[in-house]
Amino acid sequence: MTTGTLAVVTAGLSTPSSSRLLADRLTEATVAALRQQGVRAQVEVFELRQHARDLADNLVTGFPNGTLRQAVDAVAAAHGIIAVTPVFSGSYSGLFKTFFDVLDRDALTGTPVLLAATAGTARHSLVLEHAMRPLFAYLRALTVPTAVFAAPEDWGGGDGTSPALSERVQRAARELADLVAARPSALPADPFAEPTPFAQLLQGG
Amino acid sequence: MQFGVFTVGDVTPDPTNGRTPSEAERIKAMVAIALKAEEVGLDVFATGEHHNPPFVPSSPTTLLGHIAARTERLVLSTSTTLITTNDPVKIAEDYAMLQHLADGRVDLMMGRGNMGPVYPWFGQDIRQGIPLAVENYALLRRLWREDVVDWQGQFRSPLQGFTSTPRPLDDVPPFVWHGSIRSAEIAEQAAYYGDGFFHNHIFWPKEHTQQMVGLYRRRFEHYGHGTADQAIVGLGGQVFMRKNSQAAVREFRPYFDNAPVYGHGPSLEDFMTETPLTVGSPQQVIERTLGFREYVGDYQRQLFLVDHAGLPLKTVLEQLDLLGEEVVPVLRKEFAALRPAHVPDAPTHASLVVAAEQQRQAS
Repeated sequence: MTTGTLAVVTAGLSTPSSSRLLADRLTEATVAALRQQGVRAQVEVFELRQHARDLADNLVTGFPNGTLRQAVDAVAAAHGIIAVTPVFSGSYSGLFKTFFDVLDRDALTGTPVLLAATAGTARHSLVLEHAMRPLFAYLRALTVPTAVFAAPEDWGGGDGTSPALSERVQRAARELADLVAARPSALPADPFAEPTPFAQLLQGG
Repeated sequence: MQFGVFTVGDVTPDPTNGRTPSEAERIKAMVAIALKAEEVGLDVFATGEHHNPPFVPSSPTTLLGHIAARTERLVLSTSTTLITTNDPVKIAEDYAMLQHLADGRVDLMMGRGNMGPVYPWFGQDIRQGIPLAVENYALLRRLWREDVVDWQGQFRSPLQGFTSTPRPLDDVPPFVWHGSIRSAEIAEQAAYYGDGFFHNHIFWPKEHTQQMVGLYRRRFEHYGHGTADQAIVGLGGQVFMRKNSQAAVREFRPYFDNAPVYGHGPSLEDFMTETPLTVGSPQQVIERTLGFREYVGDYQRQLFLVDHAGLPLKTVLEQLDLLGEEVVPVLRKEFAALRPAHVPDAPTHASLVVAAEQQRQAS
């Protein structure tokens, strides 16, 4: 059995939050799906609420403080990410965006990401495709095809037309597990360990 | 070991009374700070170079030429000289001229500048920052070392049969440091040429400094300039002192809280933990500064930032008194006692003249 790291980033603000609730369901399902593929998942959950001040400080100073750095490094190094945000004013929350703003530009290149969102009404569900997916496309992350949205009714009987929340959670988790299990865990080259030789820089890079 | 001050040259309102100095006042204050630095026994004064408000030092050699005429010992330097947006031909000329006027008391620190619009204002593109730094500096070196230069590159119009005048004093170009916070290419550049590497070591966690200096030392040895611990390293640092540490914190807090760059963010206490900033008694500054050596090794130059964020000139001059009377004499003694004999001092014009003479005799 190999090991894979799963970073769960959730931007819910209330305690407990429905974003965290959805994140937990997705995590559970992904861990189970990975186990079936012979991968033992190591899960770390990052509640961005706990880093609200750290993130504001990072915006001002340009660097993550020691506490935030642990989260930033763990997310950048994860084999797979579950990213969950509440919908604020028709989009992901500012806190959610700020976290991904302070990551290094290439931190998520090629990383499989499962997108999920919660809101007070199903009318916000397109936030997944119109706001979240473009953000992760910019970051060159590998988003799984199924993104999961949970409106209040999804925690009960649903709207009677789409598959139940648990089914969508299962499908998205399987897709994420497939990508994580298939992806070689190559770390990006460290420019400080192996700098570009200066003769090459003199030739124009 | 050399000790000194480096200034950004910002015009910032004093947050305790709202008063903003005029450009004239700020420029004269920079001169007063440099003169005071020499008076209290410091070795180096370095000025930033900026081409946008609220900064005044757009013309470093004018400022440093004036200071050269009013000082005897002080080494005049830059923090930094924009190797990206300045024409390397003009840098070669300006600093050779300064070198003659200052009887060799000149070195430079190359930097790229991080203000996007400044690049197009000078006909360049910030996305070409590293290639500009590499090509322009390669040309600058040749202009100082070859009497007649034929040259063609990517960024500047070609040169045929060009001689940069005046030639460097005693045919020895000024020593050059390269400054960068976290671009591995610049540490590599400094190592390749056997030049100095300076880390600004303010506003950022020490891990960046450690990583960059470590890379520079390793590559300095790789390129055959000496052992890693003989590489020439400079560090910045930011301090505010009063005899009593609580008084220092109380007085500096409004300046910290409203400072450009980091103000309105973390608390003073958090920032002191996260970065090398030290606000406290002279003894605390001594202890913290001696600690820098533990993560960069024995180094050659320590510059302090003491005059930003709207601090009044009177306060800045008091900081220089404390540095000169209480801090630097102890640091000189302690660092010297810790440093092994094979670790060199920072090059000066005199030492470079001797080295050049030895090289001539050997060849």
